[in-house]
Order: sequence, then structure tokens, then C-alpha cells
Amino acid sequence: MSRPNSAERLGRLLAIVPWVVAQDGPTIEEVCEKFAISEAELLADLNLLFMCGVYPYTPDALIEVDIDRGRVWVRFADWFRRPLRLTPPEGLALVAAARAMLGVPGSPTSGGREALASAVAKLEMVLGAGGEEGVDVELGAASAEVLGTLQMSCGERRKVLVDYYSFGRDETGERVVQPWRVFSSGGHWYLAAWCEKAQDKRLFRVDRVRSATELDESFEMPASLGPVPVYDPKPEDPLIVLDLAPGAQWIAERYPNEGVDDRGDGNVRVRIRVSSRAWLERLLLRAGPDATVVSGAEGVLPAAAQRVLAVYGHVTSKE
Amino acid sequence: MDRLERLVNLVVALLDTERPLTREELRQRVGGYSEDNDNFHRNFERDKDLLRQMGIPVVAEGLGANLPPEVATGYRIPRDLYELPDPGLDAEELMALSLAVSAVEFDGSAQGAATTALRKLAGPGQVGAQPPVADVPSDERVSALFSAVTERRVVHFDYAGVARRVDPYRLSYRQGKWYLAGYDHGREGERLFRTDRMSGTVVVEGVAGAFERPQGAVAGPPPPWRLGEDEEIVVDLRVDASQAPWVSSLAGGGTVAQPSGEGPVYFQLPVTNRAAFRGFVLGLLDHAEVMGPPEVRDEMVYWLASLAGQEGPSRPHRRSR
Repeated sequence: MSRPNSAERLGRLLAIVPWVVAQDGPTIEEVCEKFAISEAELLADLNLLFMCGVYPYTPDALIEVDIDRGRVWVRFADWFRRPLRLTPPEGLALVAAARAMLGVPGSPTSGGREALASAVAKLEMVLGAGGEEGVDVELGAASAEVLGTLQMSCGERRKVLVDYYSFGRDETGERVVQPWRVFSSGGHWYLAAWCEKAQDKRLFRVDRVRSATELDESFEMPASLGPVPVYDPKPEDPLIVLDLAPGAQWIAERYPNEGVDDRGDGNVRVRIRVSSRAWLERLLLRAGPDATVVSGAEGVLPAAAQRVLAVYGHVTSKE
Repeated sequence: MDRLERLVNLVVALLDTERPLTREELRQRVGGYSEDNDNFHRNFERDKDLLRQMGIPVVAEGLGANLPPEVATGYRIPRDLYELPDPGLDAEELMALSLAVSAVEFDGSAQGAATTALRKLAGPGQVGAQPPVADVPSDERVSALFSAVTERRVVHFDYAGVARRVDPYRLSYRQGKWYLAGYDHGREGERLFRTDRMSGTVVVEGVAGAFERPQGAVAGPPPPWRLGEDEEIVVDLRVDASQAPWVSSLAGGGTVAQPSGEGPVYFQLPVTNRAAFRGFVLGLLDHAEVMGPPEVRDEMVYWLASLAGQEGPSRPHRRSR
């Protein structure tokens, strides 16, 4: 463990002293546990504290520290009757974490929901002038029922039958998974799991799970989960080449690609690896006339457009 | 003398005075500073910076314009700015807060801040060894906006190439991004800003409680088809049941009808950006159909027909951009 620097020690001391002052001789052990500090560190800091005070540092102008039979008293430290106010990052960290957990459907911090709500209201009161909600955090959309089932199954290590919409393949289907972990990242909830259908680890978006049913079958959690990859293009995926007019150049900016060349006429040529046809269809339908397929995806766009057009009752005829 | 001892004495001296103290006075009272003037000045500046970085409000006050520089400025720590008012949290509330904090991991500036914040509140030590269930990004800008929102201070920042002066109403985290909703003085209206698109630093004005926050200030961004200047039109959209949940979450509700339990769901969505709306509907592939009004439906059919390589029924009167 590296030796904490002066700022870290001072911050710790300015938090410990007001608390000790307010108690009637807490035990050293209690202080160490509450402030996550070793006894040696605490004693070093306290030994230094009782040499502190105001000029001219006569005994009556110094902070008094008494350590007796494992208990500690601090007196004449009126300067430190209260802890230092919270910094903006500290206030943000507390309030945002609390708002985030309160916003989770079927809150996972079971039981403490009311306590959390009143805690954050009290905090906002001392941080600002009023107690209105100035911050809200949404960790992701999810059905409370699905999220609750997945979290419970992770905890109990039971397999789950999920009805999942695969965005990449544009298919909905059932599969049995061994749920490892549910978490939110980038504003979406994910389930990391072993998919028995794919016989591989997979990351599922919880908002695309239509239903989840816990099965009466347990599984072994692997010793180390390892990273579960989010979708990233692979070298063996087909390469397509598109020419993009200015109206569609967001495609080159937003998605990983294998190179962008300026065509000189305001258009750019981009090379993209695509593993999912549905993804490409969405891209081309949205870009419309602003994107031209140069190679690798001939016929994809007209076919997709015809399929969607059929929804509108326009039966297409091949010319 | 240990630097920590010098720092504690410096804080005590600055808190103990009503009158701002000059550097020389502090040198005498605190002790432990070098006899050498250059060394002293350098160490004093370093100490002062360190205290300020920790959030200790070391206030500098001018003592008189005609004074020689070494006595022209005085320093003190006003107690009301230093002290954390007691929020009056009970043990159960502190525990709930600790659990919430351990469940959310912050990147950037708020990292580690939750721990020091809980320490100030004398919260329970380590709670649970569960890995965090969520990560939320944060940076200096978001922290500064947070305190401006809570203390109701006016902020300045650059956005889309324009210098803005904004009453910050509300900070929201949606789909992985932080948004600020507030009153833009230059534009004379409420606006929504993505914090990662602000440029430069956020400057927070000095006066707290500078404005009233209206009730029900908007939370988070509207869907993309609401972010535009097109004349508002309410579109009827039919969506397959399989896609309905995420359409609903993106639309923030909207009027919804599902005539039969398993069948398609009908949304009524107000649209002010027709191009963004078309992009959204096309993303649903053949799981959605624009039912009306005819103008919007025809536009969609025309768009699709031209991409399918065939003539549409008729060119609509108005093509959205």
C-alpha cells in the first residue's frame, strides 16, 4: 500500500475529528472500521493532531487528544465541529448514484428504497437552496418484471428461458441462458450470460428481452467471467464499399470502418465490415439516395425496400 | 515539521480569524514555514492550492489598493462556506446511500468522490463486496453543472459556436449522455444541451439562488423526431408487439392503444422533425407502418418505392429533407 499523501491524510482527518468530537469516546476499533483506516494510521494522525492549534501553541491553545484503554476523545477542536462541505464531484456522486438506483424499475436495493429516497431529499436540501429534484439518472429502459427476474436468477444461479429480439438478425426467438451478471452501461441494461443455443458467452440487451422465465435448473458460475464482447466487426465479415453524399456522411463518422477516402466532389467513399444484414438494411434505407453501394451489397437495398413496402400494401413486381 | 501538521495549523488559523490574515501573519501564526522568503512563498502557495483543490474555501480579500503587495491581500476561511450543514441522516438512510454508491461506478471526476463524500457523512465503512451494477460517466463539466443546478447559479459555456448564458434547471442522464435543461438568456427560451457538446470550460457565476426553477422542468432529451422546426403533425404508427416496448421507451409513452392482447400496438406520436421520424420508422424495418395522416404515409411509400427501384403511387406534395 502506498503511503497516503498530505491531501489524503488531511481530508481523512477533517472527516474523523468532527465525528469523534461528537461521540463520547468511541473505541479505536470503531473509528478504524468506520473510516476504513488502520490503527497505526489513525494513531499517527491523532499524535500529530494534538500538536495542532492556534498561535502561540501554549497547551491551552492546542487540540486535546486523549487515548485511554482503547477509546479516544478529542476536545478543544471547535474549528472542526463540522466536516468540510461536499465538493461538486462528491455531491454529484452521491446524488446521481441515489437517483440512479431509485430510477431502476423494481429497485435492486431491496428494502432500502424509502430510506434512500429520504436520504437523497435531505442531501439535496443541504446541497442547494431547495429540495426539488435537479438531477435525474436513467440507467436504461427495462421492464421491471424482466429485470427483476434476471437479477434474481443471477443471484440464485438458475437458468432462464428468455424470449429475445436479436436486433442484428431481426429475429425473435427463445433460448435458454445461464445468467452471469446484469449491469447497466452507456445508458442500457445488459445481461452477460452463457447462451446454451449459441454455446458461447453473449451480451443481451435487457430492453430486447420480451420475457424471462426462471427455470428450475441451476448452473455453475465460471470461476472467471472474462470480458463478454460487445459487437465488434471481425476481419472475416464481408466488406462493403459505399459512396456517401454529405447527407449520409454520419455513417462514416459514427461506425467503425476500414478507411474513408475523399472523392473530391463532396462525396466520400467508405469501406465497412458488416456481419448483419438487418443492420445494413436499416442503414441503407435511412440514408436513401445519399448512399450508393459500390460493391459488396448489391441488391440489398431494393430487396429491403420492397419488403417494407409490402407492409403498406404495395405488392411489388419484378420488372 | 510534518507537512500535514503545518496544513492543519494553517486551516485552524484561517478558520480562527474573522479578519483576513496576510501571508506574513500566517507565516508567524502557523509556524513550520521556511526562514527563506522564496521558499516560504513557494510553500505557502502550494499549501493554499492544495487546500482549494480539496474544496476548502480559502477566500482572498484585497486589503487596500495602495498597500505594498506583500500586505495587500489577506486570507481566511469563512465558516459558513467551510462547514457541511448536518443533513440529519439516520443510520438506515446512510446505509441505503452507501449501498447505492457501491452499486454505481463513476468514471472521470467523480471517481473516488463517493468514498470521500461518505466519509464526510460518517457513513458505514465498507458495505458489501458486490461489483457495481452500473457505470455512469462524469467529468469536470458535469460536476460544475451539478453544483450550479443545486445552488441555482447562472452558468456560461460555448455551444454550437455560440456563447451561452443559461439558468441551469435540471441535469439528466439518458442513454449514456448527460443533458442540461435550462433557460438560455441569448435565445430567450428553454433549451436542452448535451454536456459533451459544450466546448471550453463551464463558468459558474457567484450568486446562489439566482433564479427560480420552474416546476416540471424537462427531464432528458425528447425523441429525435421532436427535435426539429417542422410544423407539428401527429402521426399514427402501427408497431408489431415485439418492437413495442422499446418504441414506447424511446417515445416516452405517447398515446398507445393495443386492441388485442398479442396484436400490434398503435402509437400516436407528435412529430416536428420529419426526416428524423422517417429514419426511426425505417429502423423498425417491416415491423412498423405509418397509418396516417395520408401526407406522411405517402411520403414514406414514395421514399421506399424510389429505393425499391420502382415508381411510387404518386409523388407527394412535400418531400421532407
